Amino acid sequence: MSSGQVTKRVKYKTSVKDAGTPGRLSLVKERLVFRPNNPNSASKLDMQFKYITNHRYTKEGSNKAPMLNLTSNQGASYIFEFESYEDLHICRDFVGCANLMKFGHKGVAELLHRQQKLQILELIRKFIQNNPAEMICSSVQGCCKTIDYVLHSELQKLHQQFVGGGVLTEAEFWATRKKLLEKDANRKAKQRGGLKSSVLAESKPFIDGRTNRVTFNLTPEIVREIFSEKPAVHRAYLNFVPSKMADKDFWTKYCRAEYLQRSKNIAAAIAEAAEDEELAIFLKPDDILANETRRKIRRVDPTLDMETDQGDDYSHLPDHGIFRDGSKEVAESGNELYQRTLLQDLNRHAAVVLQGTPIDEEQLKDTQTVAEALERSKQERSTASKDDESSADQERLKGISQAMTIDDLRGSNDHHLAPLWIKVLSVLTHNISSTKYNLGKKPGESLLDSLPTSVRDELLHHHISIEELMKHFWSSYPITNKYLNTKVTKLKDEMSKMDSQLQKLKEAVQPDIRHQITLLIRPMQQALEAAMQHYDAEQQKRASKAREKPNGYS
Amino acid sequence: MKFQIEEVTVYFPYDNIYPEQYTYMVELKRALDAKGHCLLEMPTGTGKTIALLSLITSYALAKTESPIKLIYCTRTVHEMEKTLAELKFLHNYQVKHLGAAAKMLAIGLSSRKNLCVNPTVSSAENRDSVDAACRKLTASWVRSMAAENPNQPTCEFYENYDRAAGGAVLPAGVYTLEDLRAFGKEKGWCPYFLARHMVQFANVVVYSYQYLLDPKVAGIISKEMQKESVVVFDEAHNIDNVCIEALSVSVRRQTLEGAIRNISRIENEIDRFKDIDAGRLRAEYNRLVEGLALRGDLSASDAWLANPALPDDILRQAVPGNIRRAEHFLHVLRRLVQYLKVKLDTDKVEKESPVSFVASINSDAGIDQKALKFCYDRLHSLLMTLEITDTDEFLHIQTICDFATLVGTYARGFSIIIEPFDERMPLIPDPVLQLCCHDASLAIKPVFDRFQSVVITSGTLSPIDLYPRLLNFHPVVSRSFKMSLTRDCICPMVLTRGSDQLPVSTKFDMRSDPGVVRNYGKLLVEMVSIVPDGIVCFFVSYSYMDGIINSWNESGILKDIMQHKLVFIETQDVVETTLALDNYRRACDCGRGAVFFSVARGKVAEGIDFDRHYGRLVIMFGVPFQYTESKILRARLEYLRDTFQIKEGDFLTFDALIDVMNIKLTDRNLNQRQAAQCVGRVIRSKADYGMMIFADKRYSRHDKRSKLPGWILSHLRDANLNLSTDMALHIAREFLRKMAQPYEKTGSTTGRKTLLSQEDVEKLGNNGAQEMLY
Repeated sequence: MSSGQVTKRVKYKTSVKDAGTPGRLSLVKERLVFRPNNPNSASKLDMQFKYITNHRYTKEGSNKAPMLNLTSNQGASYIFEFESYEDLHICRDFVGCANLMKFGHKGVAELLHRQQKLQILELIRKFIQNNPAEMICSSVQGCCKTIDYVLHSELQKLHQQFVGGGVLTEAEFWATRKKLLEKDANRKAKQRGGLKSSVLAESKPFIDGRTNRVTFNLTPEIVREIFSEKPAVHRAYLNFVPSKMADKDFWTKYCRAEYLQRSKNIAAAIAEAAEDEELAIFLKPDDILANETRRKIRRVDPTLDMETDQGDDYSHLPDHGIFRDGSKEVAESGNELYQRTLLQDLNRHAAVVLQGTPIDEEQLKDTQTVAEALERSKQERSTASKDDESSADQERLKGISQAMTIDDLRGSNDHHLAPLWIKVLSVLTHNISSTKYNLGKKPGESLLDSLPTSVRDELLHHHISIEELMKHFWSSYPITNKYLNTKVTKLKDEMSKMDSQLQKLKEAVQPDIRHQITLLIRPMQQALEAAMQHYDAEQQKRASKAREKPNGYS
Repeated sequence: MKFQIEEVTVYFPYDNIYPEQYTYMVELKRALDAKGHCLLEMPTGTGKTIALLSLITSYALAKTESPIKLIYCTRTVHEMEKTLAELKFLHNYQVKHLGAAAKMLAIGLSSRKNLCVNPTVSSAENRDSVDAACRKLTASWVRSMAAENPNQPTCEFYENYDRAAGGAVLPAGVYTLEDLRAFGKEKGWCPYFLARHMVQFANVVVYSYQYLLDPKVAGIISKEMQKESVVVFDEAHNIDNVCIEALSVSVRRQTLEGAIRNISRIENEIDRFKDIDAGRLRAEYNRLVEGLALRGDLSASDAWLANPALPDDILRQAVPGNIRRAEHFLHVLRRLVQYLKVKLDTDKVEKESPVSFVASINSDAGIDQKALKFCYDRLHSLLMTLEITDTDEFLHIQTICDFATLVGTYARGFSIIIEPFDERMPLIPDPVLQLCCHDASLAIKPVFDRFQSVVITSGTLSPIDLYPRLLNFHPVVSRSFKMSLTRDCICPMVLTRGSDQLPVSTKFDMRSDPGVVRNYGKLLVEMVSIVPDGIVCFFVSYSYMDGIINSWNESGILKDIMQHKLVFIETQDVVETTLALDNYRRACDCGRGAVFFSVARGKVAEGIDFDRHYGRLVIMFGVPFQYTESKILRARLEYLRDTFQIKEGDFLTFDALIDVMNIKLTDRNLNQRQAAQCVGRVIRSKADYGMMIFADKRYSRHDKRSKLPGWILSHLRDANLNLSTDMALHIAREFLRKMAQPYEKTGSTTGRKTLLSQEDVEKLGNNGAQEMLY
């Protein structure tokens, strides 16, 4: 996002009521450029972000068009109308981020002061989330660095301390950061409810036992399921209701067909279908589905495509090969036209559930609405997603060929960058932070506040650096390659350094607060000790193994 | 990594290698050096294919003075695609490290159905109609007609390919079927004919068994393969069955009726030709007199399925006089069909040897053995002369002629069995006359004779000494490798009781017991709630699966299962099953998780892998059985006993078709190959893990259990031999927790290395592999 370039189709306006000039708005690192579609038009624009002082935008959900209003330091305003809110949001974030950068250290500090902390955090989170770790590393020199540094001055210190000190590489440092921030962000993503796994339409018809009446229960949810699983029924509904028959008659017929189907009374089904052509529609095999199947089978993963085997199999020409040696099962032949089995229905159902629902819960009002909403979304999908589908397939095929490789024979690629969430670590941090806050004599009064500022800052900084070190340390286990081994050794050296620093700090402070300091430092030391013990134990294990088997072999 | 095995530098596309793979390569190299055949067994999950491909391609690179070609045979097209994907990966690696010198041409070959890019042809329903639709556009006479008449449709892809002639070549690279189609579309050349043409130049050819073993196909595709080839049969544990199937034909009522229609149609054609172009029939007659069944220069697009008999057994003689004239030949065919019709009209089972069968045809229908033998050639010539392109319509008469040729050619190794109905369904009359081959060595003999090295390899080839006898060859290397695991990553369990402590089984008297059905259902309901990703269930048969799913649906168990995972099911429709499998994988990939219901003898069990998250648990409901009283099976056993002195017990234990001890008691028996196939595909590598549950009380008996493959048995702990649902659940939970822990991949904690680095391999090379590993 911020590191790259954003180009959107917009209308540029000088005032809200202006009809606007259609064109393209490009946002690059430090400037925004507007190019009208008509090259002769005078309303070109090319300005740097630093001249923009304020930005406003229309809220989603209001019935206004999606617009972004930028105000320059000369008081002029530039209004851009976007095609969608999505575009607007992307550009808004970009401008927001750029704005932050412009403020630099001071500006952001000021903003923080103005209690817009949450907003800024959100912006940064988005930035980090949308960019791969490598990108962040490369643009560390640029904008992100500024913001992050200013926001977390601790982070800056940590970065200098560890990356500058050669303990960690840029990539390692940012990979962990990115994952931590992602975790918060993911929680917020809005999820749409999927279809239920269980087959609703299979719910048993109600038979009252006294009369021959059979009752089926249909809710809009079931209808949605029927329509998405049986496109021919959906088509029939759109064609027949209400022009040819009433909603109720349609479903009566449908249920009648279902009943015949389920009672496995094929003879009766054939007889009734011959008399009633609408009923026959429900009993016939679904032609839309058959077409879809034909289309899908071409895009199936070739490593499991059993259909191609059939096309290749010359020894099973009709009547060639061994026909009856008891190994093949005797297939019951029947009237194929009216044989839809439960197994087929289950497969179809699972496929639809997997594909996901195109319509929301809100649209589940009555059958008519469901039918129409489904039709609309189908059309949208068929026009919009053809390209997506093929590219998605390409992606998938790539994934398949990757899956062909044998994982554990590969040397590790970037496994060392994957951060691990380790229980020991979180327990430790929890302990440490709880002692930190519980040590105060009275509730509400923190022990930290009673300490001299310099000592307090130093203490907090130590705590944060130890935390960072621990994260990297524990996520390096188990050591599966050399890379991790060297990383751990480096970390261990850093930890012992840290330990001695703590010791020094303890000795340097005034005797009257030494006791409190010791209490505060103890959990940190415990954490360090735990890590070092683990390190030593591992090291010993490895050494003893190497001794036992001089060749690495027995 | 790159390492030496003696003088050969092996390029292996990974940073590490399993010790089994290394020794496998060493053995394979010995066989190649000795220019002999070999038999290698190595469990699944050890990367057999990549080891094989690496060694052979590296070997070819090292021995540039006598280039060898690799012919890699797979059982199915999807296995072919998998092999090509691995080869692509390897090839990229080799080119990266060796540069242009490592470039090679590797192609997968399949039928027109799978390769055609002409939209009008490829839209045809099945393989035979695609073949016919292609011939309608590409047969030589169609094309010469098109030269005169511009309205005659032809195939532009074939025409372009033909026009490009020698210029139509594939650049170096590895081509899957999809790659071939894409290339063909781009160039406008027919991928099928291009691939067939390139087969003789390719360094690696991957195709299915039949292209080498079935004389009907091999006769056209594999005629010109050089002797300096290494032939690999992968997953070859069923190779004997492929061999006997290739030479077997069965005739049913439908066949005969179709054949009669075919004969009338041919008769009409002959009459038509007599009117318009009598010279053509005369020319054919003269050609037959001269002893040529077919014009020598048959264009590739005219080629039809070849002679069903093996190349050495085909007589290079003139077609006998009594069937040279088209009308006479038709009379002979009519009499033959009539004779078979009478034969088929029986109400008891008959078994005959080919010799007596031929003798009775001679006395009853007046057709001598030589005429029978030439039926195939004569029919082929006639259809060519009559310029018939809709070959898919003539499959019935072709079957009859194939039958006649085979029965006229082979006096031993075959028998003819006539059955009036399937013994399992005695009420439905469905007479069938089967010419079945018993001797697997017949079909494979030309392959052993023709090629320098033949490698037969699989995950399960035990007992390994039986294969040389069955296939009648002398391997220079015959080895069976064990898999060394880094950790206990497979967890087999035998479940004998349900959650109510009552026994579960698919034994005949128990299978429809509602208690058993419910207990099986409860087991699955419990398992879906604790096992992540994919679970595969195998049932003993389609009908059993269908029944049990329906009753689970009735009782709400299915609904409970679906609360946790999506359900996909194998059906008898291949297309539907393929889509279900594809969706199953998607569901496992996206984390939703799914259950796949499948059948122990079905197509899925035969060749689909459920490795990694696609199969964290495999449940085998019941003991797979085979109907053992089959006449064909009995005849085969008899033959094996008489000719190869393979005792019935030996073969059956090997084939595990039946459990001889219990034949009287149950009639239903554990099939080792089947059970092993179902559960043997859970492991992809040593980092992978999976559980297997054998849910039947009979598995707790030693004699049943001992038929499971050794690598499963070695992980089956005594404590897991007699479990109930709750105990199995507990073990599964523990196992999954254990597997989630990080572990040392090289296995140095267990004392024996299970993963070798570059360094280790070099050490091995210096010290001699054998002492180090064993």
